[in-house]
Amino acid sequence: MTDTRLMQLVQQAFDYRGYVTVVRHDGSSLVGFVYQQDVAEIAMFDEDATQRVTVPLRDIADISITGDDSAARAQRRWERRRDSLEARETSAWGEWEQRPTLILVALPIELRGIASVLRSKVRGTSASAMLGEHRVIARAVGVGGGAAHVVAADRPSLVINCGFAGALEKSLGAGDLVLASSVRDESGESVMARESVLRIARRALAYTQVAEGELLCATRIAATREDKRILARPGRLAVDLESWASARAAERAGIPWLALRVVLDPLEIDLPRFASEAREHYVPSVVRHTLRGPRAVLDLARLGTRTAIAFRSLRRAMQQLMPVLGELGACEVHS
Amino acid sequence: MGIPLAQMYAVARYVVNQRLAGRERYPLVLMLEPLFRCNLSCTGCGKIQYPQSLLKKQLSVAECLAASDECGAPIVSIAGGEPLLHPDVPQIVRGLSKRGRFVYLCTNALLLQQRLDEFKADKHLSFSVHMDGGRVDHDRSVAREGVYDTAVAAIREALRRGFRVTTNTTLFDGASPERVRKFFDDMMELGVEGMMISPGYSYEKAPDQEHFLKRERSRRLFSQIFDAPHKRWRFNQSPLFLRFLMGKLDFECTPWGNPTYNIFGWQRPCYLLQDGYANTFRELMEKTDWSKYGHASGNPRCQDCMVHCGFEPTAVNSTFTSTKGLARTVASMVTGRP
Repeated sequence: MTDTRLMQLVQQAFDYRGYVTVVRHDGSSLVGFVYQQDVAEIAMFDEDATQRVTVPLRDIADISITGDDSAARAQRRWERRRDSLEARETSAWGEWEQRPTLILVALPIELRGIASVLRSKVRGTSASAMLGEHRVIARAVGVGGGAAHVVAADRPSLVINCGFAGALEKSLGAGDLVLASSVRDESGESVMARESVLRIARRALAYTQVAEGELLCATRIAATREDKRILARPGRLAVDLESWASARAAERAGIPWLALRVVLDPLEIDLPRFASEAREHYVPSVVRHTLRGPRAVLDLARLGTRTAIAFRSLRRAMQQLMPVLGELGACEVHS
Repeated sequence: MGIPLAQMYAVARYVVNQRLAGRERYPLVLMLEPLFRCNLSCTGCGKIQYPQSLLKKQLSVAECLAASDECGAPIVSIAGGEPLLHPDVPQIVRGLSKRGRFVYLCTNALLLQQRLDEFKADKHLSFSVHMDGGRVDHDRSVAREGVYDTAVAAIREALRRGFRVTTNTTLFDGASPERVRKFFDDMMELGVEGMMISPGYSYEKAPDQEHFLKRERSRRLFSQIFDAPHKRWRFNQSPLFLRFLMGKLDFECTPWGNPTYNIFGWQRPCYLLQDGYANTFRELMEKTDWSKYGHASGNPRCQDCMVHCGFEPTAVNSTFTSTKGLARTVASMVTGRP
């Protein structure tokens, strides 16, 4: 091949927005993208765009255009589209959509715990972070719901519902974790967790003691031992106020979900009276409660200790789940 | 003028230092392209047409910071592709701010609201939101419905949280001066710090090759736009550059003024042309044959170009290196007329 012909081929490859195949005089060949040329050599990225390779011009026997021309493809797409626009509903991530993991909690205190796991700060009612290339958003949706709205808005790849729960099973103490195999609401309707999701979660939490069973989602806080005994059934481990809404919203949207709760109040322990109603802020109620006398103060101290234990336990479990979020999000829900 | 004093002072000090050091060529703005992937496919963009494996590739935080250290320009414009698709762009911004760089994060704002929590409002960071005009013009330019509305909502939220926000507008053939003026009013009403405007460059690889502005048409369009400018309009760019766009001043291109770094290396010779890549910034500055570029060179690819990345550095240099340039700039700042 003449020098002129070689320079023509090099120029053509350099101008091309796609892969070319370079054949060397020794018969070996290399597929890649040429991004640099000079009088003595060309520089290429290999086909995976992981390695830079320099090829001396004297080694080159032939260069052929072998990959798609991305500029021509863009041109064709534009010609086809001309005056029509992409739909408003197109993902904000374009074809690069990386749907986030959505962690739903009810209370600001639970959100703070998750934010510390994410090494992020709480801003308003949310905290978000990138774990590698994976985006995680944690949101406090309040007691009892709000899940459907945020699931629709965030279009997550995975929904994790977590937070405090009351035990409905005698063996569970403060800080014990409950992984929901199903979530049931008070009317008796239930959503089953997917085995593929549970399998990954079990593996991630292998070194943590986790009870697996049904979660009941009540419409009001079961604060006393009597309340809890009424709700208890064989196989039903804990009661909360939020799991049902998020599990159902995720299931309806075809998104894998996981409900992981930590026991705050065991079956045979009453919560202080002020805790029987869900509130945004507990400080005024706590202050009022302390004025009831030494026994009330002692109750509060115990609740504080249980909260700290539960908080630590939940945080540890969430740390263990973080490395498998991508895997969980890739689970087929309707398999 | 929409440029904060701290930034003006930093740039002025930098330029004076370069002149005192006797440097003939020095960069003003590092154009940092950490990735080429984008969530839009705008009709006039020739930046993102690459094979998938290259689109998935991105510069690391360390590579971005090293490029800024190597280049030394006081301003860094993070472009792309869409920088908010880069998972580590907040860390890149933080690292650059720590180095005292003034960062313009160029974004179409589709992901801005979603990712705003990851940034901290700081005088060193400005979101430079791509807005090619009012609702109809912008959505047509980016070829997707609803992008204007999303961007406006994101700008509002960013301003509410105390972030600096500017807009950057590229104009193509067929732009209506009246609509552009109305758009300027709307942006000022919205409360952005300042606006940037430039004619589009005729990228060889862009899908739409029909609407790039030729030099004479550019001058006519900008003269019409800036005929009796509203006093409230604030521009985040040199008034001399705006005079150049109107044809009132003739500048030569400063292609080394806005050097570009991306996954391939230091792009030769400028942000718009791709005549290969240098491995180091020094190699770019010393081994590029600059005489081959610019209007006077006769290079056909430079003949219609009036884009800010080549001519804004000339305008800034003119301000700081000639009494006439300084006087013109001051006069524009006082009268509000380019």
